[in-house]
Order: sequence, then structure tokens, then C-alpha cells
Amino acid sequence: MFTNTLFLLSAVLTLGGAAAVVYTKNLMHSCVYLLASLFGVAGLYACIGADFLAATQLVVYAGGVVILMLFAVMLTGGSGNNINRYGLEKITAMGNTKTFFMAGLTAVVTSLVILKILASVFKSHSATVLTANEATVDKLGTLLATDHILAFEISSVLLLGALVGAAVISRPRKEKHD
Amino acid sequence: MNSTVVTYLAQSNEYSAVVAWLTKLIGFNANSLVAFMVFAVASLVVVGALATIGGLGTYAERKISADLQMRQGPNRVGPYGILQFLADGVKMILKEDIIPANADKFTFILAPFLCMVGVFATLAVVPFSSGFMLADLNVGIFYLVGMASLVGVGVFLGGYSSNSKWSMLGGMRGASQIISYEIPATITIVSIVLLAGGLSIKTLINGQGGLPQQWYLFHNPFAFIGFFVYFIAALAETNRAPFDLPEAESELVSGYHTEYSGMRFGLFALAEYIEVFVVSGVAVALFLGGYKVPFDLGTGAIFVEKLGLDAMIAKNIGQVLELGSFFTKTFALYYVVIWVRWTLPRLRVDQLMTLCWKYLTPIAIFNLLGCAVWMYAFDGKSIYSIIFESAAVVAGHH
Amino acid sequence: MISLGSYLAISFALFISGIIVMIARKNIIAMLLGIELILNASALNFVAYTKFSNNNLDGHIMSLFIIVIAAAEAAVGLGIVIRFFQLRESIHIDDAATLQN
Repeated sequence: MFTNTLFLLSAVLTLGGAAAVVYTKNLMHSCVYLLASLFGVAGLYACIGADFLAATQLVVYAGGVVILMLFAVMLTGGSGNNINRYGLEKITAMGNTKTFFMAGLTAVVTSLVILKILASVFKSHSATVLTANEATVDKLGTLLATDHILAFEISSVLLLGALVGAAVISRPRKEKHD
Repeated sequence: MNSTVVTYLAQSNEYSAVVAWLTKLIGFNANSLVAFMVFAVASLVVVGALATIGGLGTYAERKISADLQMRQGPNRVGPYGILQFLADGVKMILKEDIIPANADKFTFILAPFLCMVGVFATLAVVPFSSGFMLADLNVGIFYLVGMASLVGVGVFLGGYSSNSKWSMLGGMRGASQIISYEIPATITIVSIVLLAGGLSIKTLINGQGGLPQQWYLFHNPFAFIGFFVYFIAALAETNRAPFDLPEAESELVSGYHTEYSGMRFGLFALAEYIEVFVVSGVAVALFLGGYKVPFDLGTGAIFVEKLGLDAMIAKNIGQVLELGSFFTKTFALYYVVIWVRWTLPRLRVDQLMTLCWKYLTPIAIFNLLGCAVWMYAFDGKSIYSIIFESAAVVAGHH
Repeated sequence: MISLGSYLAISFALFISGIIVMIARKNIIAMLLGIELILNASALNFVAYTKFSNNNLDGHIMSLFIIVIAAAEAAVGLGIVIRFFQLRESIHIDDAATLQN
């Protein structure tokens, strides 16, 4: 019952946030909606027992990525200058009746194929009984330090590279005097 | 539901009696309903108590600063002026709520609430005592770090949306300061997690004892340095002096909340004071033994044994002792935070970043490695037990 | 209510939102927001399959690495955006059409 409520709330937050990111014109607002959406995803993780992942999602996105995005929006002139030249309402100007008809037909055929595949997926797993959620932290730690040690090390090198790269790229360069 | 309060109360006979009575009354199993109601009441108690503590924090700040400067401080409202915070609260509620004409309305309204949500969400895992703690998540300390970082978003949005240069600079300083100082604080927390072997706050506290030599503070030299690293980083994260650059009144009027008035400003102030309490509480839980009472008085077993009390009453007495232990240590740290504010001058921005990136972060990483080596070399024993045991061995040879 | 189907539907909606943001927006930062949504959708899929299909936690590991990559991508991407803005005074994707100068 509680888990269901949590699931519903998180799903609404996720989907609402994602839809708002799509529809908002103001870049600052869409960063805030992205934060809401990512919080919803953390809630969805928590519903199926991925406790460590949920906390990681909170730490990385709320504390890191979203603040970084907000900083970038502010340093590149704020939300005022950044109204998109091609918004969603311009989509009708992108083609004529023939192209839209073809696109519609393609969409119907593709969605039929996808639904056919998805139906089999849903059917095969509909009978699964929800297993009890258990603590994943120690198991994840063991897996990371044994089976996935190579990927773990590579990701640390990747992060170091990203750190140095971001610092080098965004550093203001001195004007050449010649 | 994995709530410590409910689990604790469910041990008593009255709890099951109430459940049985309600089940009879409404016709279906009332177990989860009662659990939910107990949890809701406990949450309300925690939020109310912490809001009061935040309000009293402003009073304590004024009184202590007055003491340090040989002044009287507030002394008109109530005995010793202790009701001053209520008067302030009434003033804030009655004030006109101004939203600047060119402000970004949505984010302007959202920002103080993000700060409040970030701080109050961390209260869920603050360990007041072994029984009175809203939830014992098995990623507790990690959850706390994640939720506390919402405050940075709130500060930044508050500064940005006010459309004022002072607020803008304050918000930028605040956000960069919070995300910078999160790094040494989190690495220090990880080194303590290494000592305890778990992310759950109960695991962290159960690795320690009531007496000072059993605390992680005196476990090894690295943890001892780590406490000061964490405390400095926590001061900076809560925007307290000497790191109160975001609201430096001599440069930035009032920083990110320059344009806020009335209760919206009050929410920012309240969030700051409660956050100070939370980080003091976390420092106590990580380094100073948390709610542990010396000689295992907290479990209450000794009262049953010596005084012949009823088991549940003895447990309750133990809980009260634990609450006392936690609050005493936390308020001592709270006092130190206020003391530091009125003693040290403010840093410059470049000094702030130098302190974080050139000193605290390397020291924190060194501490992490040091703790790992200590755990490997001495099999997780604390420095006290090593000395004590070797002394016992030497004494045994004579 | 909590089933593989609902999780897949949510992740599908997230993915579509991300794609729409990436197609309809010409602002580089907005496109980065879309990439975050897409990465989250894929991570959610991995976790859902771990829970409902087999309980061996490899999906969690995969999601962790996705989060790591998302963080690295955001840092480098925003660094590039800020540098680009210093050079061109714009963060419009169509202004990034030349390789040199």
C-alpha cells in the first residue's frame, strides 16, 4: 500500500517533470523540472529495492548535474536570451501534407510492430511475484570489487579525464600578443 | 514499513492492544493503519520540535553574541527574553510579502521551499535515540548527503530569480561554496563508513561506545583529523561564519535573500538554523558516539536487573538517557558553531576556494587512505584498545 | 501496480520526452537536458529488468555506470558549451557549424 503510493507519486513526478521539460520555454525552469523528474526516478528506484542507486541518483543529480546546468545557463546569458528559435509549435512549418501523411503512416506501422513486441514482453513477465526488497549495498560493493573491477577502474579513469578535460576546456585562454 | 519509532513502540503491550481494538472497531487488520498514524505523529513531533529548535537558535545566537560582546541581548519578551523568537515569527508572518517586479516568479517562490524541503528531508534519518529515529535506512548517511544538496539548488535559484546583482553574486557564491565543500565532507564521511562497515546510521553509531575512548574521534589519528575537516566543511556548507560569504553584509547587503521579505525570508533563516542542528547531529553521530550512553545504560537492562523495574519502563528510561546524551553533545557543537561565528573574521572568496581545494580535499583523501591502512594493519582496533591490550600483555609477562 | 509493464511504460515516456527535447530544441544546454532524460530512461530499464527478471544485481551495476557516464558527460559538455559561448556569444546549435574559426 505504502509502496504503491510512493510508486504513483514518483511516476507522476517523473512523467510530469519530463513533460514540463519538453513544454517549458524558459531554460531555468526546465532545469528545475528536470530536477523534479530525476527525483521521481530516484523514487522509482526506491520502489523496487534499488536503495543504493536511489541515493546515488540524489547525490549525483541534485548535488552535481543540476547545479552545473543552472550555472551553465547563467554563465551563457541567463534564461532571457535563450528562447528557442524552433519551438514545438513550429513543427507544422517543417513539412507539407504529403510528408506528414507519410510520417503518420510510418508511425502507425512502427508502433504496431513495437506494441507487438512489447505485448509479448508484458505477457511473459506478468506472472512474476514481487520478491521482498533486501539491502543491496554490500552485494553491490562485492560485485564492483570482484566481477566488475575492470569497469570500475576504467570509470575512475574516465571521471579523472572528465575532470581534467572540463577544467582545461572551460579555462579562459590568454589572448595571444604577437 | 521500516520505521524505527514504530518498531520500538510495537514492543509494548499497549500497542498491540490498540491494534486489536481498532481492528475490532473498523473490521479489517489495522496494523498498517496504526503504524502509519504512529509514524505521522512522530514526524509531526520531529518537525515541530526542530522548528522550535531553529527558532531558539536565533535566540541563542543573539544571547551568545551579546555575551561575547559584553551586551545584554534580547531581554524584554518573556523571562530572559526567551520568547523573542515567537515575537520575530509573528513579525515575519505579518510583514508584507513582496515579490520584485522583474523577478522570475516561479523560481522566486520555489527557492525557499527547496531549502526547507532539503533540510527537513534530512531529519528522517537524524538519530535522536535508538528508538526515536524516523527511519533507519540502510543507505542513511548517503541519503542525508543527497538531500542536503537540495539546499544548494534553493540558494542558487533564490539568488538568480531575485533579479538583483547582490542576490545574484550571493547565490553564485553560495552554490559554488556548497558544491565545493561537499567533497571534503563526503570523503570524510566515507572514511568513517570504512571504519564502521555500513552506510546505515545505526551501524555507524553501534560501532562506537558511550565513553570517549570508544568514539570514532579517538579511534585513530586520521579520524581525529577527519572530525575537524568535517566540521569546517559543514560550517561552510551551512553558510555560517567565517564562511558566510553568500550573505556577507558588508559586501552584498544580505546575499541571496536580499530581495526576500516576510515569511519567505523566515523560511531561509529557519532552514539555515535547522541545517546547523542537523550537521551538528551528524558530526555527533559520526565522531562523538551519537546517542550512546556510558556503561550501556541506554538499553535499560541494568534497571531491570538492579532496580527490578518493568522491562518497558526501563527501556523508556534508557531512551530518555539516550536522547539526553544526543542533545547534550549536539547543543555543545551548536554552541561552538555560534561561538566561531562571533570570533573569527570572514574569509575572502579566493581564500575560501584555496582552503577547500588545496587543503581540505587533499587532507580528506589522505585521511581516507590512512583509515583504510589502519583498518588493514591493526585489524580495526582503536588506538586505545591497542595500548590497553599491549599494556595487559606486558603486565602478564611480569 | 508495480510491474515490469508500468516501469517499461514510464521509461518509454521518459525516452520519448528526451528525444523530443533533443529534436525540437536548438539550444545546446536544452539538448543536454534531453540527453540526461534519455540516460535516465535506459538506467531505469536496467533496474526494472533486474528486479522483475533475474535478481543478480548486474543491472544495478550497469545503472551505476550510466550515472557515472552521465555525470562525466554533463561536466565535459557544459565546459564545451561555456567555451563555445566565450568564442561565439551564442549557444545555438546551428552556430556550431564550422570546424575552424
